[in-house]
Amino acid sequence: MVDLNYLKLSKPQKLLYNAGRFFKSIPGRIAGGIKGLAMSVVRLIKGLALSIVDLFTTFRDGDWKTRLSYLVMGSGSFARGQWGRGLLFFLFQTVFNLYMVNFGIAYLGKLSTLGVVETYKEGRKTVYGDNSFLILLYGVLTLFFVIAFIYTWRVNIKQNKIAQQIVQSGRKLKSTKDDLQSLVDSQFHKTLLALPTLGVFVFTILPIFFMILVAFTNFDYNHQPPSKLFTWVGFENFKTLLSSGSASYGDTFRQVLFWTLVWAFFATFLNYFLGMFVAIMINKKGIRLKKMWRTILVMTIAIPQFVSLLYVSKMFAQDGLINTYLMKWGWIAQPIPFWTNPGWARFTIILINIWIGIPYLMLIATGILMNIPADLYESARIDGANAMQMYGKITLPYMLFVTGPYLLTSFTGNINNFNVIFLLSQGKPMGLAGNAGHTDLLITWLYRMTVSDTNYKIAAVIGIMVFVVLAVINLVVYNLIPSVKNEEDFQ
Amino acid sequence: MASLKLEHVKKVYDKNVVAVHDFNLEIQDKEFIVFVGPSGCGKSTTLRMIAGLEDISEGTLTIGDRVVNDVEPKDRDIAMVFQNYALYPHISVYENMAFSLRLRKMSNEEVHRRVCEAAEILGITEYLARKPKALSGGQRQRVAIGRAIVREPQVFLMDEPLSNLDAKLRNQMRAEIILLRKRIDTTFIYVTHDQTEAMTLGDRIVIMKDGYIQQVGTPQEVFETPKNLFVAGFIGSPQMNFLKAKLIKSGAQYAVELYGIRVPLSAAKCEKLEKKGVGGKDVILGVRPEHAQLCFDGAPNAIEGTLRVNEMMGSELHLHVQLQDNTPVILRIPTLELTEQQRASLIYGSKLRFTFPEKVTHLFDPQTEESLLY
Amino acid sequence: MAEKKIPEVDIIVDEKAGVIKEVKPQQKLRSKKGHERRINGTIYTVLTIMSIVWLVPFVFLVLQSFRSYQLEKGGMVDYLLPKTFSLDNYAFLFEGSNFFSWMGRALLIAAGCALVTALLVHAAGKWLDKRDGNGKAAGIAVIACCLAIGYALMVALSCALHQYALNDCLVKALILLAVFALVGYIVARIYLKQDSKLLRSIPGYVAEDKHEGAKKFGAMALEFGAAFVILQMVLTPMVESQYLKWYGNTLTIALFTAVIQTAIVLSVSYSLSRLRFKGRKLIMNTVLVLGLFPGFLTMITLYFLLKQLGLTQAGSVPGLILIYCASSGMGYYISKGFFDTIPKSLDESARIDGATRFQVFLKIIMPLAKPIVIYTVLMAFMAPWGDYVFASYVAFGHQDGYNVAVGLYNWVNTNDYQNYFTRFCAGGVLVAVPITALFLALQKYYVEGVTGGAVKG
Repeated sequence: MVDLNYLKLSKPQKLLYNAGRFFKSIPGRIAGGIKGLAMSVVRLIKGLALSIVDLFTTFRDGDWKTRLSYLVMGSGSFARGQWGRGLLFFLFQTVFNLYMVNFGIAYLGKLSTLGVVETYKEGRKTVYGDNSFLILLYGVLTLFFVIAFIYTWRVNIKQNKIAQQIVQSGRKLKSTKDDLQSLVDSQFHKTLLALPTLGVFVFTILPIFFMILVAFTNFDYNHQPPSKLFTWVGFENFKTLLSSGSASYGDTFRQVLFWTLVWAFFATFLNYFLGMFVAIMINKKGIRLKKMWRTILVMTIAIPQFVSLLYVSKMFAQDGLINTYLMKWGWIAQPIPFWTNPGWARFTIILINIWIGIPYLMLIATGILMNIPADLYESARIDGANAMQMYGKITLPYMLFVTGPYLLTSFTGNINNFNVIFLLSQGKPMGLAGNAGHTDLLITWLYRMTVSDTNYKIAAVIGIMVFVVLAVINLVVYNLIPSVKNEEDFQ
Repeated sequence: MASLKLEHVKKVYDKNVVAVHDFNLEIQDKEFIVFVGPSGCGKSTTLRMIAGLEDISEGTLTIGDRVVNDVEPKDRDIAMVFQNYALYPHISVYENMAFSLRLRKMSNEEVHRRVCEAAEILGITEYLARKPKALSGGQRQRVAIGRAIVREPQVFLMDEPLSNLDAKLRNQMRAEIILLRKRIDTTFIYVTHDQTEAMTLGDRIVIMKDGYIQQVGTPQEVFETPKNLFVAGFIGSPQMNFLKAKLIKSGAQYAVELYGIRVPLSAAKCEKLEKKGVGGKDVILGVRPEHAQLCFDGAPNAIEGTLRVNEMMGSELHLHVQLQDNTPVILRIPTLELTEQQRASLIYGSKLRFTFPEKVTHLFDPQTEESLLY
Repeated sequence: MAEKKIPEVDIIVDEKAGVIKEVKPQQKLRSKKGHERRINGTIYTVLTIMSIVWLVPFVFLVLQSFRSYQLEKGGMVDYLLPKTFSLDNYAFLFEGSNFFSWMGRALLIAAGCALVTALLVHAAGKWLDKRDGNGKAAGIAVIACCLAIGYALMVALSCALHQYALNDCLVKALILLAVFALVGYIVARIYLKQDSKLLRSIPGYVAEDKHEGAKKFGAMALEFGAAFVILQMVLTPMVESQYLKWYGNTLTIALFTAVIQTAIVLSVSYSLSRLRFKGRKLIMNTVLVLGLFPGFLTMITLYFLLKQLGLTQAGSVPGLILIYCASSGMGYYISKGFFDTIPKSLDESARIDGATRFQVFLKIIMPLAKPIVIYTVLMAFMAPWGDYVFASYVAFGHQDGYNVAVGLYNWVNTNDYQNYFTRFCAGGVLVAVPITALFLALQKYYVEGVTGGAVKG
């Protein structure tokens, strides 16, 4: 449709048109996604093929220094006087070889079964067999190590090729001193990122990879290493979590997921609009003591949540201050079951979360409100808009536009908002299958699965499901909200 | 103080966007070169390649007699003035200017001497203790230049240094740059999108468009003998008028025909056309606004048009005229040449006739847009 | 087209003017004022009610903390004001520890030594000036010397006062000396920042008038004092109560995390924002995907990894520091957003001026990034105070390895809840007060970081 024709449409017509266009675009998008994926796979294969071809040609055209490097990493660099690089390559190869011979190969070999030798007792002595946990963990580590080795080996050869070319063209090679100096200049990112990357790898990537694999095993209280073995079970755990039945958690999972989404929705949007509303009130011209109001509200951010939330949760308890005072004043005869009735518990949590969440949004909204150019309002006033219209036509769109990405991260954060639930209700009241409570989020359920039930396999599956849910939400929103992608409109 | 040589320099960004194609230029020692062109023409990219802030995709760059393709900016012995000044906001003007010298571990006395000297030249001595925030736009500009001169670099790069200033200040700073150049005799490369700056500052001008060099020459050359339509239109203000015309050849004699009039071309032009083997065909005729002459009497061979806008510029009038086929034309007429009565007759909608001397006309091929003469 | 539109606009403007004329301006103005007042009144009411709701739990908390756990035993009782105000609960927190005498001694010794050091620096500065001393190196040496003398004095004093054999605290003193040398060097650099010619910038040294000089001198003495107090506290051990142990654990964790995490976050965000290199996009996308996995998923693996390093249970303090810092590089978002707003030409200019990228980072970007540095430090410092999950899992029931959150949580969720509730309140107050004070003092930076982060996503 031509732009002008589109602009002529009335609001519902525009909506209809956009919705139609969105739905029509879905097949195209899916096709595009598949095509993109296929393209990247093709590119990957192509890259690999080229890389292998390059390995051969490099070997063919290489001098003895280059060729030796195929066997002994870093030898070429040594021979060309770049001893720093050579040393690193050589050390890496040595460490790798030692590791593989002493541990790696053994663990890799057992990875397919996760161990077969049972632990048994011989009289009073325990004879330990295979430890499935260690096999899985070190197996994964070894896999990573092998990939890293192949990559480094490839880099080592590429460097030889380049160095050989440089020498042949008569230019000077970089000395070790140059290499070291480049670490604070052109290669500064390597210096800065080395430690953080290592940290993330060991403490995030490796564990996540491990846990994803655990989801395909029967690692739980009945199969706890070192006394018991666990092994691969395929998609069994996914079936347990997702299907309905007496031994499955399907119904619980759906209920918990539903509550998680409801919670995240309220926690995000209720706080968002209320927070914005409070910010507008405080920022209104003619309201005094702005700083004081803000400071009072901000107290809930400043005070550690375990203090404030634990206290408040006790305030709402059966014998807490709220109930006792309401009964004292004769407003109620029975204590309100804030934490014992599922409906009440959910309501109370959302209510208390407002107390925690509004100040945060108030601060953000304040910052953004002050950034809205005053001439927008002046122009609107001259055009004859009243306060409500100005809010609807300027403030709200501006806020929504600017905070679009924030809303997304906030929604994601609330799905994983452990603290509020855990400190207020611990997921209680209980009563769902799989030891889940009515206020449990996926994440608190996961926590209980891990810590009290030691049902690691299901915990791992829940973790993967959280990932899937978040990934879907993120993908959809990225495609729907324009401001996530283009940031120019209001600037 | 060094000469520069760019040979087949090319810049390709990711996704195969080519910013600069095959750039060849030799810059003499102590020359003042201006890169000029519309935004996105690759002039800044070229400058940044010279500075070492962008990698050179292909070709070689030589400063003095050293190939510097892979040399870090700090080792190229160049200084650069940025469009937004890029003053370090957290340190004083003095420290801003001393920054590069301190990094070179120069002695305190030497630093002090150089900073004071540069400040003296630029007249910013009294602001040395201030932070950049406390300075006006013009003063910041001076500090930025000062920071470059204390270095006494081989090559002095300036990336649109005046475009953040208001018009009056810009004229003043332009004059100061000319003076500065006389004082510190070194190689200058200056990037601008403003053709006036290019014309007034440059020893030679490099006119670029879409990553290609259009023409290299002295201001005089590019003004008088533009190589193509783009250069002709870009240099000069208001821009050159382009009229559709027909080139007619009879023997060795050429003439152009437009709007029913016929202008025979001079022998010199005919010779050039003959040499290039141009036959009779459609051409674009270029005439600069200042070369047009109004005809109030019934002179023959004049083009007729309708006056749309009459801009009074003080010493001259800018007349926006619409020809029969709606082609817009601008005429620059010195006010002094008109009588009171004639001026009064130049009102919206009035018909007028104008002509132009043959020797200042330019001829362009409509297809290739190249000049037929140069 | 264009010519036709102009008159239309004119007509609209005329109509408008007419409409406005019909309403009597005077009347409208007055009614508007009343309307305004009503709105403001409503807003004040709403804000007041909100403030009460917001503050009431904290007021209750403080009140409960003054209810004696011996005389008025009980969890949530059905009255607000304790019948007698008592410091029972607070006394319990410090039971068995020599905290106050320890603290008092530390303050006293540190104050004395700081004063002596400040006087020394002052005198040395004057002396150096008279000799027209030569530059930074001499300045640093002089300041360092003075600090060393002060330090030696302090070690001697604390040895004498605590009746230690010198040997006992000699090792500790030497380790601390290394730390102190570093701190001293930094302090000297800061004082000599601007003017490298002489000790001009030592506080109290070249002040125009006496008042200004005294103020500067006081500032210097205070700074030395703060450094000395910390050193003194580390130098002489305190007899701890359980609560103080937890508090100390948390404080240690928070301090180390603040420093290490800030360094990591700044490194990552700086690289991703201002350096261009192969794999940059890959890193950002990987972090994005990793961020979608819930954090507790990996808990057992982390526990195992820490156990291999011997950093669980009794070793939970370094273990937690490791966990908090290891993956903190993934939280680069907000500070990257800040770095993105610093013009790139500053880097480029500095590089042409002869700086390596490291020097650009240190000399240009870091001084400009002060707000985001403070924000990052604040966040990193505050987070460990509230963490229950990892802290409890890593400590694994080992009481000495708890942080305050775990310890106090267990007080509330214990069978003896009736007995411990008021002590929990007191413990909570002691945590909340300094944290809140710190937060409110640095509120400005927090707001800056949060809004910047939200706007840029």
